[in-house]
Amino acid sequence: MADLTLTNLTPTPKTTIRAAADTAAAAELGLTFGSSERRDGDLVVRIRPDEWLVIGSTATVDALDLSGFASRIDTTHSRLLFRLTGDLAAKVMEKVCSLDFADHMTPNGACAGASVAKTTCDIVRDDVDRVPSYLVLCDTSFRDYLRGAIEDAMTEFVGA
Amino acid sequence: MKNRLPSRAGEQIDRSTILSFTWNGKKLEGFAGDTIASALVANGVTVLSRSMKYHRPRGLLTADYWDPNATVQVGDEPNVRAAHRRLEDGMVVSAQNVSPSLRFDVKAANGLVGRFLTAGFYYKTFMKPAALWPRYEKILATFAPGGKVDLNTPHGYHDKRYAHPDVVVAGAGPAGLAAAIAAAADGASVMLVEHEHEVGGHLLWGTDDDRATAAALRAEAEAAGVEILTNSTVTGRYEDNWVAIAQRSHPMAVERLIKARAKMLIVAAGTIERPYVFAGNDLPGVMTSGAVQRLIRMYGVKPGTRAVVLAANDSGAAAVAALDDAGVDVARVIGSGDRAALVKATGSSTRIRKVHMGDGTTENCDLLVTAVGWTAPTSLLNMAGDRPVYDPSAARFFPGTPPDNVLATGGITGDGTRDQLIEHGRATGRLAAGRAAVVCHRLQASTARAASVDGAEPSYPADERAALPRAPHPEMFRAATHGIVDYSEDVSSKDLFGAAAEGFDSVELIKRFTTATMGPSQGKLETVNTVAVLAEARGETIAEVGTTVWRPPYAPITLGALGGRVFEPVRVSAIQPWHEANGVTPILAGQWIRPEHYGDPAEEVRNTRTNVGITDVTPLGKLDLQGPDVPKLLSLLYTNKWMQLPVGGVRYGIMCAEDGVVLDDGVTGHLGDDHYLMTTTSSGAATVWNWIEMWLQTERPEWQVHVTPITTGLASINIAGPNSRALLGRLTDDIDLGPEAFAYMQVRTGTIAGIDDCITWRIGFTGELSYEIHVPSQHGLHVWNQLLEHGVDLGVQPFGLEAQRIMRLEKGHFIVGQDTDGLSKAPTTGMIPLLKLDKDDWAGKPEVAWVLDDDYPVVVAVQPTDPTVVPEEACQILRADTIDIVGRITSSRFSPTLGRSICLAQVSQEFSEPGTELTVLLVNGTRTTARVMEHHAHFDPEGTRLRG
Repeated sequence: MADLTLTNLTPTPKTTIRAAADTAAAAELGLTFGSSERRDGDLVVRIRPDEWLVIGSTATVDALDLSGFASRIDTTHSRLLFRLTGDLAAKVMEKVCSLDFADHMTPNGACAGASVAKTTCDIVRDDVDRVPSYLVLCDTSFRDYLRGAIEDAMTEFVGA
Repeated sequence: MKNRLPSRAGEQIDRSTILSFTWNGKKLEGFAGDTIASALVANGVTVLSRSMKYHRPRGLLTADYWDPNATVQVGDEPNVRAAHRRLEDGMVVSAQNVSPSLRFDVKAANGLVGRFLTAGFYYKTFMKPAALWPRYEKILATFAPGGKVDLNTPHGYHDKRYAHPDVVVAGAGPAGLAAAIAAAADGASVMLVEHEHEVGGHLLWGTDDDRATAAALRAEAEAAGVEILTNSTVTGRYEDNWVAIAQRSHPMAVERLIKARAKMLIVAAGTIERPYVFAGNDLPGVMTSGAVQRLIRMYGVKPGTRAVVLAANDSGAAAVAALDDAGVDVARVIGSGDRAALVKATGSSTRIRKVHMGDGTTENCDLLVTAVGWTAPTSLLNMAGDRPVYDPSAARFFPGTPPDNVLATGGITGDGTRDQLIEHGRATGRLAAGRAAVVCHRLQASTARAASVDGAEPSYPADERAALPRAPHPEMFRAATHGIVDYSEDVSSKDLFGAAAEGFDSVELIKRFTTATMGPSQGKLETVNTVAVLAEARGETIAEVGTTVWRPPYAPITLGALGGRVFEPVRVSAIQPWHEANGVTPILAGQWIRPEHYGDPAEEVRNTRTNVGITDVTPLGKLDLQGPDVPKLLSLLYTNKWMQLPVGGVRYGIMCAEDGVVLDDGVTGHLGDDHYLMTTTSSGAATVWNWIEMWLQTERPEWQVHVTPITTGLASINIAGPNSRALLGRLTDDIDLGPEAFAYMQVRTGTIAGIDDCITWRIGFTGELSYEIHVPSQHGLHVWNQLLEHGVDLGVQPFGLEAQRIMRLEKGHFIVGQDTDGLSKAPTTGMIPLLKLDKDDWAGKPEVAWVLDDDYPVVVAVQPTDPTVVPEEACQILRADTIDIVGRITSSRFSPTLGRSICLAQVSQEFSEPGTELTVLLVNGTRTTARVMEHHAHFDPEGTRLRG
């Protein structure tokens, strides 16, 4: 049974790519909306139909062809990034978020935008060594509040 | 515990654990597993409460969750259901709403004038004269039922969670248990909810075999992975099977509200035994047959010594058996379905003494047990749109036709043996699992993030269950005498007859007029009797009268459960740790915790005007705009022109909604090719983002613009004051700050304090030479510290929101939402030159054009005649010597720079000319005068300081 942990990974480089469907960037980034994939150590997330989030480094983004209607913006500083890991991580998420975290509805690699404790967040399931793990991204200004809300939700399961 | 029976098989109490508690100050004992009520009855207590209106003594009636006569105060918690709440060691239990005591309640005098306190008494008596209502209200409030709320009681931990079970089963009797097991066996995730403390329903007070069956079903459910929630209630069913569950059994939380999105809901709520209506039916010692069986078999409590049993069904016979088993002398069993067989009960203030029969005989007793029929608690089905159907042969309502995603099973649908109920439950569980699988398939297939579905969609199973039989039952609702129908609300059958005679001919009307069925049991005990009495009064059938519409909650829910954990998001900037470490007085502005001041806002103003100040303006909304069509977008959103803004330029703009009302304002800078940074007001960031996306996604989808909110990606610091250029110059070497190279309303990008990609623009909200720098937020604190460190000799000091507001008022800059309101159209701001009617189109243009030809209010600068008087914001401005309102003060402060009070105000155009004398009505009721100024700016109207 893997214990619950909540880690602040906010300094990790994050880049948002917006690209129209007919651009080279969209073709290169690929994926279906709502999914993610690890590429050379970076996590590429298609978080909205025309929006990708690349977490890890800028290498993947630097190699992109951004010609056409495509834009790149560094969101390292604007998006906080928490990682919640543990066998009971879904139970914790169920206390702060209305998404269905069952494996078939939110499998490893799934992503979605949702309200977490009344803040607008993006959630990516990114299991670690087969242990359920969720990345929670939010506006950095909510860092203290959101950390408190998630830690409060964890209390019930610590030591369980 | 004089009424405690010897130990018996199946009881739910643990006699090895003795619990001490007090009842109205008297020390008593009970056992673990007792309810408060069972412990009280075990100790010989017969009167547990007083009724709401007549303060009649009341004893245990149903001995379960719904008991209307067992509501008590436990410590600082009012309205506790004593027949349900488990006893705890040290509990302080008392009767509530009695004066001065339960035994001698002076309000029982109401009973003496009861004939005048009929339904509608308050409406009729206290309507006139209307002027006296406040006095009436105070007195009547003292008669309100309920316990005492201690406002100092600590807020307990109330929790909330979401769930997405395939099947929720409401009720864990034999059918509900079987349904849950069968659904789980077919692969469904199942949540089984039972409002009592143990699963098993009526099997718990049945035979040894019944209890063994309940235990086996529980074990089977646990093995099948069913999530069992005892002491929990499904309180409501809403659209698309959104099911609310109040869980009272959580180990950490006082209560937890579970918001379950169930694919299927199975209602297995069983039946509720109906009380009988006759004179004296609320005397202590009158109980339902279920109550005596529960007391004897679950708690080992002897409910009386000599009993009369009115047994119109098998439950009456079962009660007789239980009474025999407990050594209670059963004096007479009235085994007739004849409503005339029992006339009335009489007794003392503490319990029943005698039963009067229809044949003229009487029977002395201290216990009268009634078994006269059942109510099907169809509320959850009704919430799903179903309407119950009355069957006179069975003397109760049954479910009609619920929607496909709601199924009913068990006693609520019919009668039958234990095995029949279980088999019906299993069939229902299988059906629910099959339908849930279809819903699940559809959900998974239509949800982008979900795993791919395997195979084709399963076929939707039809309902082919065999219906449970319906046992014939006599229609036994009321004897020939009048009695209580609604115990919680003290409504009698006589009240209902009277209301019907007054013309309240609909059950919905009579419910509201008499308040029958509106008490804590939410009609579970009362509705059918109310309907039956109304039918009798009107000479109609029960089917013709129908029922009231049941709405959520199924059972009362606490405000704590509804509130759950309190989520109140707050936001802080990257510089917040410095503010907190340096004596800031914070202020909550929207969701933001901001520095209001650091001790003396007036001194902060003086220092900024004299030297240099820095302030944290991170909450300013910031939107990154990229794409070739950004100028078109800006031209559409703002009232002024944007097609020619050069790279490096910054422009101020006002945004209107489509009705011309000011939506927001701010500056936007042209950072590079097809790249802009827009700032909004702090509170308007989300609104403006939504506004832009609305335009781009619905009105101008062909435009190529990407908008990304980056408010807190950039820590924003305003450096203001005569020394601001010198200070910033010490921290950057790649931005030329010279007044010609970097003029007012321009933007540059460069390195500040070693941090690359900082955006700097020259603007002047404070009216001073100032630079607003936007730094990648994780470096914000570093840059803030560098500014303070390098500006000591320049006199740098931080200033807060209050100083900023004073300075902007001195400069006459209006604030959207402060100096404008939800009706203020753009011309009101006075920024007429920015309203470019020669542009093709912009949001709000037609309305603004129309308003310009009308008499709109105007924002003007105002100075009180007495410079020491600072009118409160929102003070009215009146036409002299009248009470005609012609405007209001929108902003006011004492200016440390000018040494006098200054204001902005909205006034009608008639009063907007410079030099006009205004009359201001102060909060204390006195009037003062003020003068309209020539410029909005009270200070430096030429702008020489900010353009320097």
